[in-house]
Amino acid sequence: MTGVNRLPAPAGSLIDRSRTRTFRFEGRPVDGFAGDTIASALAANDVWVLSRSFKYRRPRGALTMAGQDANALVQLPGRPNVPADVEPVADGLDVRGQNYDGSLMRDRGAWIGRLRRFLPVGFYYKAFYKPRGAWRLWAPLIRRRAGLGRVDAAAPRGRFDKAYLFCDVLAVGGGPAGMSAALAAAEAGAEVILVDENPVLGGALNYARFDAAGAAAARERRRLVDAVAARDGIEAMTDTIANGWFADNFVALIRGNRMFKVRAKEVVLATGAMEQPLVFRNNDLPRVMMGSAAQRLIRLYGVRPGTRAVVATANDDGYGVALDLADAGVRVAAVADLRPEPGGGGMAAAAEARGIRIETGHTVSSAIPGAGGRSVRGAVLSRIEGRGVCRGGETVDCDLVCMSVGYAPAAQLACHDGGRLAMDEGTATFVPRDLPAHGRAAGSVNGTHALDAVLAEGARAGWRAAAALGLDAGAGPAVPEAGGADDRNHDWPLFPHDDGKDFVDFDEDLQVRDILNACADGFDDIELAKRYTTVGMGPSQGRHSALNALRLVHRATGRPLADAAPTTVRPPYAAETFGVLAGRHFEPVRHTPMHHRHLEAGARMMVAGDWLRPSFYGAPHDRERRVLEEVRAVRGGVGMLDVSTLGGIEVRGPDAAEFLDRMYTFTYARQPVGRGRYLMMCDETGVIVDDGVTCRFHERHFYVTTTSSGASSVYREMLWWNAQWRLAVDISDVTGAYAAISLAGPWARKVLDPLTDGIELSLAAFPYMAVRTGRVAGIPARLLRIGFVGELGFELHVPASQGEALWDALMSAGEPCGIRPFGLEAQRVLRLEKGHIIIGQDTDDLTYPAEADMTWAISRKKPFFVGGRANRVHESRPLRRKLVGFAIRDPEAPVPEECHLTLRGNDIAGRVTSVARSEALGCVVGLAYVAPEQAVTGATFPIKVGPRRFLEAEVAPLPFYDPDNRRQEM
Amino acid sequence: MDGDGIDPAALPRRGPVYRELASAGARFVELRGGAVAESFAADAGTETRAARRLALADLSLLPCLGFRGREAVDWLRRQGVDVGDRNNRAYRQPDGALAARMAPGEALLFGDVADESDLCERLADAASIDEEVEAFPVPWGDGYFRFLVSGKRAADMFAKVCGVDLRTDRFPPLDIARTSMARTSVAVVRDDLGDTPAYHVLGDVASASYLLACLRDAMEEFDGALAGLGAVRRLAGA
Repeated sequence: MTGVNRLPAPAGSLIDRSRTRTFRFEGRPVDGFAGDTIASALAANDVWVLSRSFKYRRPRGALTMAGQDANALVQLPGRPNVPADVEPVADGLDVRGQNYDGSLMRDRGAWIGRLRRFLPVGFYYKAFYKPRGAWRLWAPLIRRRAGLGRVDAAAPRGRFDKAYLFCDVLAVGGGPAGMSAALAAAEAGAEVILVDENPVLGGALNYARFDAAGAAAARERRRLVDAVAARDGIEAMTDTIANGWFADNFVALIRGNRMFKVRAKEVVLATGAMEQPLVFRNNDLPRVMMGSAAQRLIRLYGVRPGTRAVVATANDDGYGVALDLADAGVRVAAVADLRPEPGGGGMAAAAEARGIRIETGHTVSSAIPGAGGRSVRGAVLSRIEGRGVCRGGETVDCDLVCMSVGYAPAAQLACHDGGRLAMDEGTATFVPRDLPAHGRAAGSVNGTHALDAVLAEGARAGWRAAAALGLDAGAGPAVPEAGGADDRNHDWPLFPHDDGKDFVDFDEDLQVRDILNACADGFDDIELAKRYTTVGMGPSQGRHSALNALRLVHRATGRPLADAAPTTVRPPYAAETFGVLAGRHFEPVRHTPMHHRHLEAGARMMVAGDWLRPSFYGAPHDRERRVLEEVRAVRGGVGMLDVSTLGGIEVRGPDAAEFLDRMYTFTYARQPVGRGRYLMMCDETGVIVDDGVTCRFHERHFYVTTTSSGASSVYREMLWWNAQWRLAVDISDVTGAYAAISLAGPWARKVLDPLTDGIELSLAAFPYMAVRTGRVAGIPARLLRIGFVGELGFELHVPASQGEALWDALMSAGEPCGIRPFGLEAQRVLRLEKGHIIIGQDTDDLTYPAEADMTWAISRKKPFFVGGRANRVHESRPLRRKLVGFAIRDPEAPVPEECHLTLRGNDIAGRVTSVARSEALGCVVGLAYVAPEQAVTGATFPIKVGPRRFLEAEVAPLPFYDPDNRRQEM
Repeated sequence: MDGDGIDPAALPRRGPVYRELASAGARFVELRGGAVAESFAADAGTETRAARRLALADLSLLPCLGFRGREAVDWLRRQGVDVGDRNNRAYRQPDGALAARMAPGEALLFGDVADESDLCERLADAASIDEEVEAFPVPWGDGYFRFLVSGKRAADMFAKVCGVDLRTDRFPPLDIARTSMARTSVAVVRDDLGDTPAYHVLGDVASASYLLACLRDAMEEFDGALAGLGAVRRLAGA
């Protein structure tokens, strides 16, 4: 048997005694069993200190054994803040405590606790912000001392991912209510997912005592678990935590390294309740724990939690704890029942019959610490003389104090999507209210605790969920009777001590006086007190502090508890790892058909919207030279550019021309078949949003190209407008269906000619802005005689599947001419020399055509186009800026950068939008917005290129290169 | 390229992921001017078993043609195509081809895995802009990739990349889902191969490499594999 505290079977339902697990804690080897958690294995070996507290470095041990508190957080390799009370042991695991100097048992930093009196809540707000700037000195010191685990940036990467799950009903919580709900829903034909964060179904049936004999829980658990296993339509997911409940029943489940996203039609919340602590002096010592924690140790892990115990209770469940302890061989020195009389459920009588001393009207007012505060050596029992007041005391020797004074619903999920928790004075705890649509609560989360009532409520919730789905669910189960929750929660389980150490919030080391002082300082609302004291802001997010803190604040401010509401609850319910959040992130990327040819040619690819496009071809360190060579190739020979990313939209039908006339600024009704025409699109405010070319292949057929980044938005706009106009036209986005290559340079015709079949390429037969269809290298093609770079050029659009073959054919045919592919950087230089703007680079979200000197592209004769009216308004007003070409003649001058400011006097006039050093022109050229009065050829304006550094630029006419267009129209 | 097969780069039509398939050991055969992966595994039985469990085959070079327009459905009917009466539903043609009715004015036709149907060519020839009919062909054979994902674990795999419930009891044969897969727009058409669940996944051809990588990654968990047209035909009994 591993461990001095290990109990014989049948205790320990989760452990497999045939499989030993050896791990290290604080460097020492520890043996446990498969199924043990780190904390249970340590407890079995009589190791009770797991961590040091956040502020005072007090030794802390397991509080809940349910992963709900910060006391049990430990450091694993690469994983900080791991709850030791739910993390399974594994061979070789290296476990460390957190937040100490020296050793966990002898923390050199524990002296800070002795200064407790001088470190009241909010002390650093008051102490460290003066003189001005002092906080910058203090902050590193304070932050070095505070905190929990340490992130290991070098930790090996895990594999995390996400998946969807589908169901009709999601039952959250695998206890008696959740299982009953799942069964009822499935019996009606619903498809159910039943999730539970624990390794097995059963919830409280796994560890709690529901009757004096201690037999009911196991019997009921077996019945329900067997029924769930036998029932088709239920997928039970254990070790799975429901961590967020979002709009329309979108629930995030986390199991291991995977996040499941569920869109459930109906949700049944059966998450149970969390036992609440009793507040008394030294209530944070190791082995002061919830009664349910002691029961978990016994029943789940076969660990005896102590040898001599005192149980403080305010309900019959505490007597169940006492009976379980007695059954496990723990001597129960006393039960301190906060009530004047024990309940009548038979548990107290059974305890009394076992000879257990019962002191009604008493509380534990103090725990006596053992050496170093690392254990308990006794408890003081005091008579209760009023609300939170006790007198006198008898010290009882013990090494274990169990607290069973009430519950709070684990209803955080319900609050993620509009639900709320309200204070119910009748039951002295919170109750969930206003659950999300198609969500319902059942069981102890709903304040129902008696087992029969829990089962009935669960079954009814499942039936109602099935009925809401429209399933033939038959007559519903009877409405459950009142569940006997009335006396489980003590209405004031707080017994402050004059010397403090009466902790309300274990995470943040907050004592009763801290909450009261916050109120005295004027933070008299729980939301304010929370932020001032940080109550509820630690890792356990107020699970054990919210209720008591609210009680204290309302009492201190004289307000009735009936009005109380806890602070806002937000997702996630439990801590999530960054891996789960970041795991399997999809980032779509689009490749042109020639993508691999670019890579093979040494292209440096750049992201352009969704696309990857060649920036230039060559080594990164050789960028400038390579770009220049590519520019020279186009100016002096021939180059080819992959323009498959340009949007391609087919506009077909009797109203195709009318449609384009409405969508674009030019006129297209009289565009001849076989001709191309420039397109400019504005939005309703008159702002330029896209441009391109339209090719008319038939009276009823236009092929429209768009910018690479604008394809989907232009297509969407077209559909949106025509949904209103209802013109007889079909609009199809065929961007991906065509590969496109721009062949440009004085030798372009020479390269293309031998590849064309029956298409006359001469200037006379195929003039500038003409379009043709035919075959190139045997491939069906659309040929566009257009140019963006200012040279003789052809754009070839072919079926995508044959784009690579066309690329290969052009490369072969162009080899004698020294053809070379060029990338976007060269294209940008070339088009700038030609004075062509790029929408989105040389325009912004406010640029209208007159500012960009693009009014030539607006037809004044047609009655309507999108943005036409706005443009008339723009044009009726004075220009505020204008896009101009500029040149910097000084050969020694640096090249400005895009977005450098242009000035008029001391005022900002605009910015540089494009700029490059042009070999062809022998100077730096660019485009920039300037004040209208500066937009005069030959005028100069300053460009600010750095702090107090300016360049003189001269406004130059566009295009810079080949102003007569002889080269592109040759 | 595989010395046992043909080199896809030697043919004018090239599938969008032929390099990835070649790297995975595909053996190619010529089909309609392009090369399709015929097989991956050394023996047919292994590949067929994989296709029953979970496999992906690239059918992008098989015929596929879209039609759009107000009169598209009526025009197709006049051409003898069964386009049924429900949108988001595919209809099997007598020659094995499928007519997928995507919307009131949109249909997608794709050839059978045996490549015996001539429906797409016939309709492409019949459609003419000169006819004053609002039914226009759309070259989805080039614009879309077409993956066929088969096997009993297919729906489990899809759940890792797609928010639509594609389980066989919730997504009947020949139903169509237009959805997002790994954040890329796709159309999914269930088209079982005999008794093996199978789904055509169609999307923007420019995203083919990206989505193939995503799907292969998602398939790993279920021991998924690439399959060739041969395995698909065997399962289909073609």
